[in-house]
Amino acid sequence: MSSRFARSWIPVACAALLALVATAPRAAAQDTDPLAKLDATSRFAVEAIMDSARVDGLPVAALRSKALEGVAVHADDRRIVSVVHGLFSSMREARSVLGPVNDPDLEAAAEVLSAGVKPEALTSFRDAPRGRPLASAFTVLVDLVTRGVPRDDATSAIVKLWRSGARDADFYGLWNSVKSDILEGLNPGAALQNRVREFPGRAPGNTLTPPTGQPESPSS
Amino acid sequence: MTEDWQHPYVERIVSEARRPVDLDPAARDRLMSLVRMEPAPRRSTRFSRLSRANRVRDLFRVRSLVLSPAAGMAFAAGLVGLGVFAGALYSHRDGRFTAAGQPPVVAVSNPQLPVSDTVVQFIVMAPRANAVSLVGDFNGWNAAATPMRPTSRAGVWSVTLPLAEGRHLYAYIVNGSQWMADPGAPIASDDGFGHKNSVILVRPGAVL
Repeated sequence: MSSRFARSWIPVACAALLALVATAPRAAAQDTDPLAKLDATSRFAVEAIMDSARVDGLPVAALRSKALEGVAVHADDRRIVSVVHGLFSSMREARSVLGPVNDPDLEAAAEVLSAGVKPEALTSFRDAPRGRPLASAFTVLVDLVTRGVPRDDATSAIVKLWRSGARDADFYGLWNSVKSDILEGLNPGAALQNRVREFPGRAPGNTLTPPTGQPESPSS
Repeated sequence: MTEDWQHPYVERIVSEARRPVDLDPAARDRLMSLVRMEPAPRRSTRFSRLSRANRVRDLFRVRSLVLSPAAGMAFAAGLVGLGVFAGALYSHRDGRFTAAGQPPVVAVSNPQLPVSDTVVQFIVMAPRANAVSLVGDFNGWNAAATPMRPTSRAGVWSVTLPLAEGRHLYAYIVNGSQWMADPGAPIASDDGFGHKNSVILVRPGAVL
């Protein structure tokens, strides 16, 4: 009786063991994937969003990074899915307004929309001259809005600078000045209005040159 | 009905066969002496008894292995342990597979480092911090991946790393738990999780 029992279970046990041995390294690798910390449903949802982004030609890395950030801060799984989906929607909307742009510009434009700026505001940046990056203008716009500058004021100021041919250094100069004024206690909207007057209009179409000098810390 | 073995001819043959044979004693001695002169036969083994073809066939013959349930489970546990050990030996924590004992590659002198990468130094002032680390999309927001080191200036922490060209989000983690945006860099919009991140734009040879 016992030998018959053993004979019937040995093939099953061996098959299960082979499967375990074959998948053990893969299982160990999955344990190291931070997204594996999501529950199965949430992970499936995040991967489905990334697949959709891949099909649409949107930057998948930004979506994955957002999910990883959520995992790193121990956010709720549903919250992570919601945030990733929100970023996906913003990038798709930004793409529909701006047309084909590179990934950094598109990610920055999505941040602009996430900051509450209306999509219509992005139309001013459509058909940007080739080689003229949008990311710096959008980054400064988001920062100003986040610091309390009214959205419409910040948008119109950045659009005005953009149309006048401002360069990366101009946008960052404006940002640095306004930030200093705000830290000194000035009203954010007033600080922007004061500083934007200091920037003379540039002729559109000026050749943009990247900043020179040694790489330096983003901290000042 | 008469049985075959009861046939008279059969009985005659049987009786003839049972008749004692007179054997010459000398003949018996000669026979035994001849037997003793023969070399002793080698001890036969299982394989020596088989022909070459039979040996091969014997190797592939299906046999049934009978184990008790306890022995089967012990065998299974051993195999599982072997698999886990092999998996741990041949895979890194990040899931990349490589041979065990392969020396690590020094990133600074790695000739395969993309030429678009720009070495960026991050500096933050955190006088009361015991530990500061840099997290961002470049290290999967892993707080253990990029620890910062205190500089010679009191309260100033620094780390240098290569970043690919593009736009990166990052933040500092102070004392293992406090999330902090870089006060010297533009702020990104709310990350959706209640934290503020900073933005760095990496261009060839420059950062913004």
